[in-house]
Amino acid sequence: MNLFRLLLTGALLVAPHCLFAKPIAYAQGTTVMAEYGAGTMNEAQVFYAPRYDWSLGGGYLELDLDRPGRQIGITYARANYLAKRWNRPKAQTNVFVWGGAGDARLAETNDHAFAWNAGAQLDHETRRIYGSLKTDLHRAADFTRRIDTLQLGIAPYEHDYDTLATWLVIQGRNYTGDRHEGVEWALLLRLFKRGAWLDAGVTAGGKLQAMAMFNF
Amino acid sequence: MKIFITVFALLLSGIAAAGTIEMKVNGLVCGFCAQGIEKTLRKKDATSDVLVSLEHSLVAIETKTGLDIGDTELKKALTDAGYDVTSIERTARPLSEIRASLKGKH
Repeated sequence: MNLFRLLLTGALLVAPHCLFAKPIAYAQGTTVMAEYGAGTMNEAQVFYAPRYDWSLGGGYLELDLDRPGRQIGITYARANYLAKRWNRPKAQTNVFVWGGAGDARLAETNDHAFAWNAGAQLDHETRRIYGSLKTDLHRAADFTRRIDTLQLGIAPYEHDYDTLATWLVIQGRNYTGDRHEGVEWALLLRLFKRGAWLDAGVTAGGKLQAMAMFNF
Repeated sequence: MKIFITVFALLLSGIAAAGTIEMKVNGLVCGFCAQGIEKTLRKKDATSDVLVSLEHSLVAIETKTGLDIGDTELKKALTDAGYDVTSIERTARPLSEIRASLKGKH
């Protein structure tokens, strides 16, 4: 836990080289995303962006609670906003924020409660390096869970508009609550070309971590 | 008189010929995100073809014969797509030639 906090602090201090699956891709674009998070977190999202700096949509997040099999499912509507973007000749930096509300259901008892969500993401990218730092808070009745994700990546070559982009990504993810001790580390291979994006890899515990995203 | 008409016709054809607009753009680092630029520009009536090069921070548009897109409109399109235009230049180079030239530079 201390290592993760140190990394997060360090990453903020040195303005990390970041990019991530952005919640807004481009104006008048629809983004569909699904993530399988090592068997402990699954999420699906759909967003439409009327402009390049905001999008609206919804999703479903499924989280393991204090033990495997005890899950909460949150169905939400969410708005994403690009709070700040810095465009430079060979780099881009973004700050995104989002918030939403929905319904949380505890699978074990089928109890429902109002849920809300807020989050933020800082990312910076060039064509060779990137990093992102994301925090995502979910609250419902007596349930509170924050998921912090740090990604650092390097590209073995510089992709261009019409070529396949390949990235090697290290991901550290920390969940508040009792479900996980310490940081869940994963090594990912990221591929994207045109409107299709795929992350796949394994966690330090040998579990699958995967994410697919499409823009159209 | 015939000479005058011929010269006039030649001048007119030169004016009405398809042109190319080359723009230098800041923030072009991700092919996934830059699709918005191509989609926006292809929707314009004057657009015949679009080229995006991350390597050269370049967005180029080939316009249809006799048509053009104003600088203000171009800047707005790129800004609305989330990018910053730093320069706009009109050239006679066909987009195919620019494409070939960029490939040669790789």
